[in-house]
Amino acid sequence: MTAIDLQQAAPTARGGRISGHRILFHVTAVLVAAIFLVPLIWVTLASFRPTAVSMQPPIPPWPGDNATFENYIRLENFGQSILHYTANSAIVAIGTAALTVAVALLAGYGFSRFRFPFKPLAFILILSTIMIPFQSILTPLFLLLANLGLQNSLFGLILVYTTLQLPFSVFMMKNAFDSVPQEIEEAARIDGIKGMRLLWQVMVPLVLPGMVTSGLFAFLNAWNEFLAALVLLSDQDKFTLPVLMTAVRSGRYGAIDWGAVQAGVTVMMIPCLILFLILQRSYIRGLTAGAVK
Amino acid sequence: MNFRTLTSSFALATLGLGALPGIGAAETFSLWVRSDGSEFMPPLVEAFNAMGEHEANLQIVPVDELVQRYAIASAGGSAPDALSLDLIYTPAFAEAGQLRDMTDFAQGLPYFDSLSPAHLSVGTVNDRIFGVPFSGDASFLLWNKDLYEQVGLDPEAGPTTWAEIADHASAISELGDETYGFYFSGNCGGCNIFTFAPLIWATGDSMLSEDGRTAMLDSDGTVAAIDFYRGMVNEGLVPAGSQTDSGANFFAAFANGNVGISPSGSFAIGALNNNYPDLNYGVAFLPGQDEGQFSSFAGGDNFVISAGTDDSKIPAIEAFIEFAYSLEGQQILVANGAVPVRSDLAEDVFEGLDERYLISAEAMANGRTPYTTVFNDIINSRNGPWITTLNRAFFAESEEEMMQAIEDGQAEMQAIIDAAY
Amino acid sequence: MTVTSTSTADHAPPTPRKPRRAGWHGLVYVLPALALVAVFFLVPLGMTVWMSLHDWPLLGNPRWIGLANYDRMWGDAGFWNAMRFTAHYTVVVTIGLLGVAMGLALMVQSQGRAIAFYRTIYFLPVVTGFASASLLWAWLSNVDAGLFSPAAQMLGMTDRRVNLLAHFDTAFWSVTVMVVWKMAGFYMVILMSGLQSIPSDYEEAARIDGASWFQRFRWITMPLIRQPFALALVLCVSGSMLAFDQFYIILNGGPRNQTVTAVYKIFNESFVSFRLGYGSALSVVLLVILMVLSAIQLCLLRDKGAAK
Repeated sequence: MTAIDLQQAAPTARGGRISGHRILFHVTAVLVAAIFLVPLIWVTLASFRPTAVSMQPPIPPWPGDNATFENYIRLENFGQSILHYTANSAIVAIGTAALTVAVALLAGYGFSRFRFPFKPLAFILILSTIMIPFQSILTPLFLLLANLGLQNSLFGLILVYTTLQLPFSVFMMKNAFDSVPQEIEEAARIDGIKGMRLLWQVMVPLVLPGMVTSGLFAFLNAWNEFLAALVLLSDQDKFTLPVLMTAVRSGRYGAIDWGAVQAGVTVMMIPCLILFLILQRSYIRGLTAGAVK
Repeated sequence: MNFRTLTSSFALATLGLGALPGIGAAETFSLWVRSDGSEFMPPLVEAFNAMGEHEANLQIVPVDELVQRYAIASAGGSAPDALSLDLIYTPAFAEAGQLRDMTDFAQGLPYFDSLSPAHLSVGTVNDRIFGVPFSGDASFLLWNKDLYEQVGLDPEAGPTTWAEIADHASAISELGDETYGFYFSGNCGGCNIFTFAPLIWATGDSMLSEDGRTAMLDSDGTVAAIDFYRGMVNEGLVPAGSQTDSGANFFAAFANGNVGISPSGSFAIGALNNNYPDLNYGVAFLPGQDEGQFSSFAGGDNFVISAGTDDSKIPAIEAFIEFAYSLEGQQILVANGAVPVRSDLAEDVFEGLDERYLISAEAMANGRTPYTTVFNDIINSRNGPWITTLNRAFFAESEEEMMQAIEDGQAEMQAIIDAAY
Repeated sequence: MTVTSTSTADHAPPTPRKPRRAGWHGLVYVLPALALVAVFFLVPLGMTVWMSLHDWPLLGNPRWIGLANYDRMWGDAGFWNAMRFTAHYTVVVTIGLLGVAMGLALMVQSQGRAIAFYRTIYFLPVVTGFASASLLWAWLSNVDAGLFSPAAQMLGMTDRRVNLLAHFDTAFWSVTVMVVWKMAGFYMVILMSGLQSIPSDYEEAARIDGASWFQRFRWITMPLIRQPFALALVLCVSGSMLAFDQFYIILNGGPRNQTVTAVYKIFNESFVSFRLGYGSALSVVLLVILMVLSAIQLCLLRDKGAAK
């Protein structure tokens, strides 16, 4: 396993440095941190400014005493309320995460614990999809979903996103199962625990970290995906947040409502940031699973 | 039949069991309109739904996405039941078999003969009617009377030639403080065919031949009109945001009150009167170089029904169209900026409305509607030759650069047309 | 857990997998994954090739035209412009991104509470999506309601507001800065994983020998992080070759069509002009280019791995 962890708190073990250097280092590091944070903070603060000033430059960005949710509420003018589109995004993201975890769990178990004809071929087939960008198969994917009655459907989008997540997740779950000692399973089998029960009661708790990582990546990627949602959804009521906000940004009555854009961007970003801060370890584990192997 | 139709028939069958005999089943149908209709369509739908018989479920689609979204939805089997479609695109969708034949319904209307002939002619393909006139939208100039007054111009006399536009704009730009004389969406193909092309037509020239087969971006009138805009840009009469505005500020720039003159269209009257009642503005024709010349783009929407729409919904949709054609419907449409499409009611409809509505209707009557099968590719597309050329040329730093842009654009536009025919 | 306590010694089989576990049983577990990949990946992939040989309008009937779509690319200036721009963007963004990421990785490779905090901050933009980051940047770069231009004016750097998105250079750099801002943390973590695997006595020994910081970086650090570096390179190149969201959302492919990328061109052909067949042919070409590029880079990765 990898030793990398963003939150790793170890004693500062670099003695013997001149403190001038250290101060310089921390000043630089804080400045860089400011550069990374400013856009995120700026948009969040600006989204609470009143409508009247949303067309003015955000200097300063804070709304002062006039903090208001106007910009959020006004998104209702674009069809449904912001909650509706957030729910669409959430359905797609959670659905993708759940389906990905379920399918990858089964596949990882199958690849790790069984021998069957064409197993290497099947494994390579699933992994090789990572080599081919989905952007290049978007056109037929659209026709295919149309034929299946799944175009313009959140469920269709979930199926597509899940497929895109599979190479990473199946690889992740196979490794997770590989690291579980065979003896545990054998012991359970002798106790009479078999089949799905064995997988569910015995194995799942042991591969849970891998499942969390797979689910987290699936959630974030589905929540943020834009191009496929843009092409595959045609009914505004079904739009996910990125597609809706792009329409808002392109102006509706021949006017861009920047306040609404700020509100939308904030709603899109915050869940990702919170999830990341809570599950940082799982995220970084997933990221470095490919890097250090 | 697709899945949707299947489920809706089931739903209908289930409903039918409980419905009382003799009463027509209330139907809900989905309806799209492009964002230009976002003033007149919602009140019309609201009034229709309030009658309680049927229900229209309205969705407003950004104007530059409507064609794309409708085509994709049609191909995907999720098209709306009906829509108010930019009339220019009626033939293309009709020829592709996406629209329902409305001939019998249309000809059965007692006032069929007074419906807008321009709309009907594009709505008719092979002698069958696939789209009925719904709303008119003409282009003209708006000017801000308060700003005119501030700089000592006559607030009641809008510009009547290009030179006057430039003079007035120049005077207003003197005010400074983020106030500008002129605004146009410099990166929007749809906006500029609507509001810039009439400047060319007013001179008697065009940027496309009558039959749509020859690009004429390098014609004298086109070059002169481009140079007119470029002059105003160079003199700093146009805000910097114009150069990247792909239509998003088409309306808002003028509505915010710090622009003197802006080309616009009928829809703006509704939007301004409803949302900016304090803005004191006038409406003038889009002029030519010389006194007395003017033109307009006669645009608007045809009402169409998707080919795949279930038969059970047709009565509800037809009821909606007839409501729109009623005096009440026409009044709602006109008060909110649409030019009426029923000439026999015009007198009643315009009663009590100010002169600006009449100018809008007169512009419509004198307007042109260019037609080509590659309209989207060469004119409306964000990446098409019409807007790429105009954007390059309007904001060119030198005359050579402008001419080069025009030359490149002319070649590209002709190439696309040649590939299509 | 209950299972681990059971005694199993006398029953445990000599080999972990009994013969009865071979056969088709395992396939059942793998089947859902295979089915998804087959339906939503293999079939569309085959269809792409098939469609590329047709004149395929969105509405209406497809017509077989053989290789005409491929032939057409030669004369399509838009295609070449898109390819040239995509290559240009890929080179610039890869250099910028990996350079900044390397700097960040060197800064935060050591341990400590404060440093862990910096790392987390630098990583935050990564988890926001490309769409939200692009919308955010579209606003910040807007000439009237944004931040950059008005701020520059207020600070006296320009005398009037400059429309950053109106000119190719400023528009391109605005997007590039956005991508570096959004993705630097990602590559920082990958490169850091390499840096942290370098035994610290190497550095110490070199320092005692009097090697300068740059010499140590060039001759010790670089060779030892080649593998994560190559991975970062592959990811960065293929990611940039497929760029779409930021150019669609912030620039609409403008100014003057100069920022239409390869994927954007495919999107335009297929879903704006509705030439699905030509769009598919472009997809096939892009696919081949990416496969070749990835293969070249993977060879490099393998060589470097062996050299270690």
